[in-house]
Amino acid sequence: MGILQVNHLKKVYTTRLGGNQVEALKNVTFSVEEGEYVAIMGESGSGKTTLLNILATLDKPTNGEVLLNGRNTVSLKEREVSAFRRDNLGFVFQDFNLLDTFTLRDNIFLPLVLSGKEYREMNQKLMPLAKKLAIGEFLDKYPYEVSGGQKQRAAVARALITKPQIVLADEPTGALDSKSSSQLLRLFGEINQEGQTILMVTHSTRAAATAGRVLFIKDGEVFHQLYRGALTEEEMFGQINRTLTVLTSGGVKNEH
Amino acid sequence: MNIKLYAKLAANNLKKNHRTYVPYLLTCIGTVAMFYMMGAIALNDGLSEIRGGDVLRPILNFGIVIIGIFSAIFLFYTNSFLMKRRKKEIGLYNILGMEKRHIAKMLFFEVIYTAIIGLCGGLFLGILASKLMFWLLLKLLAFSVPLAFSVSGISLLITIFVFSGIFFLSLLADFGKITLANPIELLQGGKVGEKEPKTKWLLTLLGFVTLGTGYYIAITTESPLDAVALFFIAVLLVIIGTYCLFTAGSIAILKLLRKQKKFYYRTKHFISVSGMLYRMKQNAVGLANICILSTMVLVMLSSTVSLYIGQEDVLRSRYRKECMLRITAQKEGEEDEVEDLIDRVLDEYELRAVEKEKYHYLSVTLWKGQDGVFSKKGLPTEKMCYLTVIPLKDYNNLYQKEFVLTDKEAILIASYNNTLDTITIGEKTWNFVEKEQHEEFIDKYMAVDAIIFAVNDPYDIKEAFEQLEGDMGWISEQLKYSYGFELDGEKERIIPFETDLKREISSFCEENDINWTIDFREVNREEFFSLYGGLFFLGIFLGSLFLMATVLIIYYKQISEGFDDKERFDIMQKVGMSKIEIKKSIQSQIRMVFFLPLLVAIVHIMFAFPVITKLLYVMNLNNVPLFFVCTVGTILIFAIIYIAVFFITAKEYYRIVK
Repeated sequence: MGILQVNHLKKVYTTRLGGNQVEALKNVTFSVEEGEYVAIMGESGSGKTTLLNILATLDKPTNGEVLLNGRNTVSLKEREVSAFRRDNLGFVFQDFNLLDTFTLRDNIFLPLVLSGKEYREMNQKLMPLAKKLAIGEFLDKYPYEVSGGQKQRAAVARALITKPQIVLADEPTGALDSKSSSQLLRLFGEINQEGQTILMVTHSTRAAATAGRVLFIKDGEVFHQLYRGALTEEEMFGQINRTLTVLTSGGVKNEH
Repeated sequence: MNIKLYAKLAANNLKKNHRTYVPYLLTCIGTVAMFYMMGAIALNDGLSEIRGGDVLRPILNFGIVIIGIFSAIFLFYTNSFLMKRRKKEIGLYNILGMEKRHIAKMLFFEVIYTAIIGLCGGLFLGILASKLMFWLLLKLLAFSVPLAFSVSGISLLITIFVFSGIFFLSLLADFGKITLANPIELLQGGKVGEKEPKTKWLLTLLGFVTLGTGYYIAITTESPLDAVALFFIAVLLVIIGTYCLFTAGSIAILKLLRKQKKFYYRTKHFISVSGMLYRMKQNAVGLANICILSTMVLVMLSSTVSLYIGQEDVLRSRYRKECMLRITAQKEGEEDEVEDLIDRVLDEYELRAVEKEKYHYLSVTLWKGQDGVFSKKGLPTEKMCYLTVIPLKDYNNLYQKEFVLTDKEAILIASYNNTLDTITIGEKTWNFVEKEQHEEFIDKYMAVDAIIFAVNDPYDIKEAFEQLEGDMGWISEQLKYSYGFELDGEKERIIPFETDLKREISSFCEENDINWTIDFREVNREEFFSLYGGLFFLGIFLGSLFLMATVLIIYYKQISEGFDDKERFDIMQKVGMSKIEIKKSIQSQIRMVFFLPLLVAIVHIMFAFPVITKLLYVMNLNNVPLFFVCTVGTILIFAIIYIAVFFITAKEYYRIVK
């Protein structure tokens, strides 16, 4: 049993007008082991975002369950959800989602302040993180004063500072230039090496190739998965590309 | 592209932006209507035919100027706010291939539409409502003769002229903005410049100093005459202080709070301090505007209402008897002749004089130094003082007393702003052996220090006066005679009686070369009603104009806050705040931001209260409890309207955020 267990997830949206039903997720089942680094790939409209929103407890599935450390997050009450999200999940988003009313330091502190931690304790937690992420000198700057890469590293610090069970990343390299992208991906690799479980949703083959395992989603189902195993990043890159070609040319479902 | 297309585009733009444009159009209509109405009333020919019309006209003309200036500033400000919000849209047009001159044409049509709707709607509303306003004004003035109601051509023309000018200026400003900007800048529009506000200690300090000084002046000014001069200085200081403290002071305080790490890093304070910092930077000027406008509305309404309600009081303190005659008789027996004359005219009109009050007096103006020493030298440390000296015999008659005094003794009848035991003029000193305070003897409207006292022979004072050195000061040549009485009888006869009496007295006195004045309360009543009714009318009128402005600013603030908060709302939810927590935090911030101006306005009023009572004193109103009740009442009503507006516009805010 993994740290995250997703069972038969189904999500049906009813359009506001006319009552048409759209099936975003049909039947998604997978699990993530502790310390794993998993990438989820799929085209636009494949249901990636819906899946991530459900994992993030921002949305509820029509059917199925999500177990984090054996606890069903789907049945969490509205009141518990925020605290649960704060304590167990870390988020990294494509557009950073930093509040421009806060300095980077305060943005990173935000989840801790919400949980009522003391300033000294927060500061102690921040120092090693800031060093690792090389953002020490920008801490007192505001989001609009720093580059995209620096913003994203601050967002990573915010995700990690609560020591979450799992980090959920949504297209984390989507708004970054190639240099910042590879820097961030290297960082993800290192964090994962230290034992942090990461689940990343991405379009980018380059990003997915750094993961330990890649899940492919198509039309609301897990279509295929690739383990990196002993492959180098370059070999993994090739494998993913081949799979994507099969995926887009309308191949049939198969499992390794 | 042809003209029709621009016209159509412009119409579409107005429709698309209805959420912000409809209130703007309503404001245009409202200001145009008010301007027209004020013009129609002030320029009405009938005004000069009614009693007191001469008093009323300058007040109303002043109203026209104020409304004009205020409308210009306000419409201009609102228009530039709307353009700021539409930057992105205009940038998009630019990128989609419209050149700047095309955009200018489109904007031209937009302004044309706005002007047409504003002027037509406003004039239509103005013509309809001016009938109501005429009625209200006549009701307030208690005029029996109705003014003729008609559409005022002059006012129509002036209104069209003034407002076309305002719209033209705002169009020019729009042109200026688009020619200076490039499309990328326009596209990013609202996104630019969310820099952290700097702490401006100097401005903060200036704010505290000016506000403090303003408050200090308002509280400490004792003399009503000083109040008149200092009031406007105090107002100016408080306005400067309000702007400084809203813009710089609020940020300085919030930043100080942020430096207190133990305080700042608490869930509740963390979000609200930083949120407020951001909001204050965006809104400080707007909030200061709301605050100043609210204060003006409150001051204007409370004081004009008190004057209006208190005008009977005023009339009684200004004219303490229905008829008050003062003559300086040249020959013995002339005083009796005048009294006989009055009795004859009274009989003619079947009226009776009651509560008669007769006495002689000598009036003296001198400069008061220390310990009741009076001089003719107007040194800066000495104050001007009116002395009224009454013969002991008349005093004993007036109050049925039988006092006997030596030549060094006096009786204090009444005093204003004085606590003396003796009066020294030159080498002579009089001791007050008896001190009384008969309020009715003080002409409060004069608001100058005064002492009224009785001595054996007032000419002793004159003698002492003439021995003084110096060339200032004044004394009447001889004793004057004052005769006052109330009237008893049919009310309708009073005014004809008074008119007739005045004529008779006038011809008698001219014939005998007698100095004379006569005042009638009833005759002056209409003039008073014109003055105070006119002021009250103006108060209501400007009050509702300022209220309209306040409402509009609150509404726009809510909308722009809503758009800004939407994004932050989403982020906070993702980072782990529950919807309820966010809603609570945002609600409390929004409330703080919007109720701050109201609270500050109320504080301003509280500090202004003492000085305004002094001003009302100058205007003859000495009824502090009445003014207090009016002030509290106005604040309550205003607060209720303010809160109602807040909650109605808050709905719009929540619709945007959700």
